[in-house]
Amino acid sequence: MTEVNQTKKSNTIVHPRYGCAIGAINTVAAIPRGIPIANCGPGCADKQYFMLSFSNGFQGAGYSGGGALPSTNVGENEIVFGGHKKLDDLIKSSLKIMDGDIYVVLTGCSIELIGDDVGAIVKEYQEKGYPVVHAEAAGFKGNNLTGHENVVKAIIDQYVGEYKGRKKKGLINLWFDVPYYHANWRGDSIELKRVLEGAGFKVNVLFGSESGGVSEWKEVPKAQFNLVVSPWVGLEIAKHLETKYKQPFLHVPVIPIGEEATTEFIRELVDFAGIDNKKAEAFISTEAERYYYFLEHFSEFFSEYWFGLPARFVTVGDAAYNLAITKFLTDQIGLIPTKQIITDNTPEKHRQNIQKLFHDISDEFPLDVEFIEDGYVIEEKVRNVDYGSSVPLILGSSWESDVAKEIKGLLIPISTPIVSEVVINRTYVGYHGALTLLEKIYSETVRG
Amino acid sequence: MTKKIRQIAIYGKGGIGKSTTTQNLTAGLAENGKGVMIVGCDPKADSTRLLLGGLAQKTVLDTLRETGEEIDLEHIVRDGYRGIRCVESGGPEPGVGCAGRGIITSIGLLERLGAYDEDLDYVFYDVLGDVVCGGFAMPIREGKAREIYIVGSGEMMALYAANNIAKGIQKFATKGKVRLGGIICNSRNVDREYELLRAFSAELGTQLIHFVPRDNIVQHAEIRKKTVIDFAPESKQAGEYRDLAKKIEENENFVIPKPMSTDRLEEILFEFGLMDAVEDYKI
Ligand SMILES: Nc1ncnc2c1ncn2[C@@H]1O[C@H](COP(=O)(O)OP(=O)(O)O)[C@@H](O)[C@H]1O
Ligand code: SF4
Ligand code: SF4
Ligand SMILES: [Mg+2]
Repeated sequence: MTEVNQTKKSNTIVHPRYGCAIGAINTVAAIPRGIPIANCGPGCADKQYFMLSFSNGFQGAGYSGGGALPSTNVGENEIVFGGHKKLDDLIKSSLKIMDGDIYVVLTGCSIELIGDDVGAIVKEYQEKGYPVVHAEAAGFKGNNLTGHENVVKAIIDQYVGEYKGRKKKGLINLWFDVPYYHANWRGDSIELKRVLEGAGFKVNVLFGSESGGVSEWKEVPKAQFNLVVSPWVGLEIAKHLETKYKQPFLHVPVIPIGEEATTEFIRELVDFAGIDNKKAEAFISTEAERYYYFLEHFSEFFSEYWFGLPARFVTVGDAAYNLAITKFLTDQIGLIPTKQIITDNTPEKHRQNIQKLFHDISDEFPLDVEFIEDGYVIEEKVRNVDYGSSVPLILGSSWESDVAKEIKGLLIPISTPIVSEVVINRTYVGYHGALTLLEKIYSETVRG
Repeated sequence: MTKKIRQIAIYGKGGIGKSTTTQNLTAGLAENGKGVMIVGCDPKADSTRLLLGGLAQKTVLDTLRETGEEIDLEHIVRDGYRGIRCVESGGPEPGVGCAGRGIITSIGLLERLGAYDEDLDYVFYDVLGDVVCGGFAMPIREGKAREIYIVGSGEMMALYAANNIAKGIQKFATKGKVRLGGIICNSRNVDREYELLRAFSAELGTQLIHFVPRDNIVQHAEIRKKTVIDFAPESKQAGEYRDLAKKIEENENFVIPKPMSTDRLEEILFEFGLMDAVEDYKI
């Protein structure tokens, strides 16, 4: 196999692009009536909110997220003597004061280091029937993406619990965007749920406006299968569920964007699940018709407007959005991918596979994929790409705005952090999202 | 003019006799009119018992836990035998919290409260067991103890520990001013113990500064919560501790230790017949 193309790791990182494991407080806050309890130093939780929500499309925090969550604010006293008592008090008062259905204690670095037995404290509440869960979330163990996976597994193990009953045919657990980290996560899950339901499935989306909260989580073991729509995040969860509930999973590494990809996605799913395809095909034809109605009008613009359209593009972002958007723009719009940089610190074991997925996008262009986290190196790379005579198109984070300006390029924010846009419920995936993405890219273009 | 306080850390395997030796030798220094403070850096808080005639009533961390940061020095420093100032850092309950951080907190507090004053000639840190983590290395960080003595004996585990401690010291020494002042043998009455400890010290690049015999009078004094010097000033053992105190006073042999590989250490142990005894070695 090809060697994983990886720039020598630098010891310092400028321009951080993800949070630490305790950033998974956002995962908990994304569950309707989910209450994160931060068991870490003062500032940890706030920093994660700031990075992953505020400076990432100003997404807001809701009732239990952001700066308003219960925290032990661990100080020197807890480090020296242990933080058992303070955590115990905090859980007690959180149960009293915070109105929620599930409470998840996330333990950060300092307390993990001194080895407090958080599990034992939480267990006492669990034994009394309180919906409290604990998850290890020390920054030194991983970033917010692996933190997200750990928190989900903890909820499954400690809250959802054992299940030996029958599965419901056609019911899917969707493991997809990482809430808040993927700024479009809310719009994305609305669209994907719409697509899956349109095709005849029922879906547990588990996070965001479309989720039914804890009652939906309780349904997780009953699903026919788990659907992972991401190159790597969520795989650990699906494997865990496979052993725990004997639940198979389908891994779709490329998030579908546009008619072709989404239609293919639906057909793959219907095939895998073995459900009747009538409803799905009817849905596909309605969606396709609508999609091409709009695309036709768009292509008039596309063929007539000849001044300053981008031809070559680079992407800088996490593996999931990066892969999906690169594929869509290459396959469907005919743009030329010239450099794709993955910034999410993808675990080593997934890297080769992800590179192959990129390579498979096009026979025509050899895709140049790299795993880099340091903004300094990224800027260098983006600057030195040969964009030909057309205007450079950069799909990246707000950290790329300086270099975009410098090379007179167009910057479309697709990855953390995003400070030039407010994100509410938009999506770039599925049938609808693809059109929004085109709208976004070409509005920037005509604006000049 | 501020005079230089000699700050000394005592390391060694648990139970080897660090606290007993430190208190007796500081009693010897105090007899000679030296100003001494002992800072116990062991959560057991038994580093000053023989000087105070009992366990210190409150450790620094206990006081901190109960009273908060607003502490007077008198609350945590108590005068013992011949005015030796006694401090116990203390620690969290066994099994919770971070004892190492506790030591850092305590020493930080002593510094802030001005415990290191003009009247002191010596500060001794009596540190638990091994240099297990950063907290237990606190006394030998920059600006604190520059002299270290390791207490050892002719037992295998004591020498393993001593060699390990030397590794820790080497790391700090190459970056800073910390030096090893020697090995103190606290005898276990093992065969050829003196020769073994001499060879071991030489291999580390240091000296065997003193050989303290094993003597039951230590226990007799201990039962009465006293040092030997206090309990039986005329005894031979009291003389040994005075000798040790004098040697430390006059010591000029400070080195960066050269810890040995496990193979080399075992070779030496073998040479002195210790490995034969491995079979029936009991901890
Ligand atoms: N030279 C000695 N002769 C006899 N007993 C000793 C001698 N040195 C120490 N001991 C005994 O060994 C025990 C452990 O000593 P201690 O100083 O508490 O060890 P450490 O501080 O290294 O853990 C004490 O009970 C003490 O009475
Ligand atoms: S890395 Fe550790 S200390 Fe830093 S924010 Fe995360 S949990 Fe807190
Ligand atoms: S090993 Fe050291 S730093 Fe770690 S918790 Fe224990 S005492 Fe603290
Ligand atoms: Mg001791």
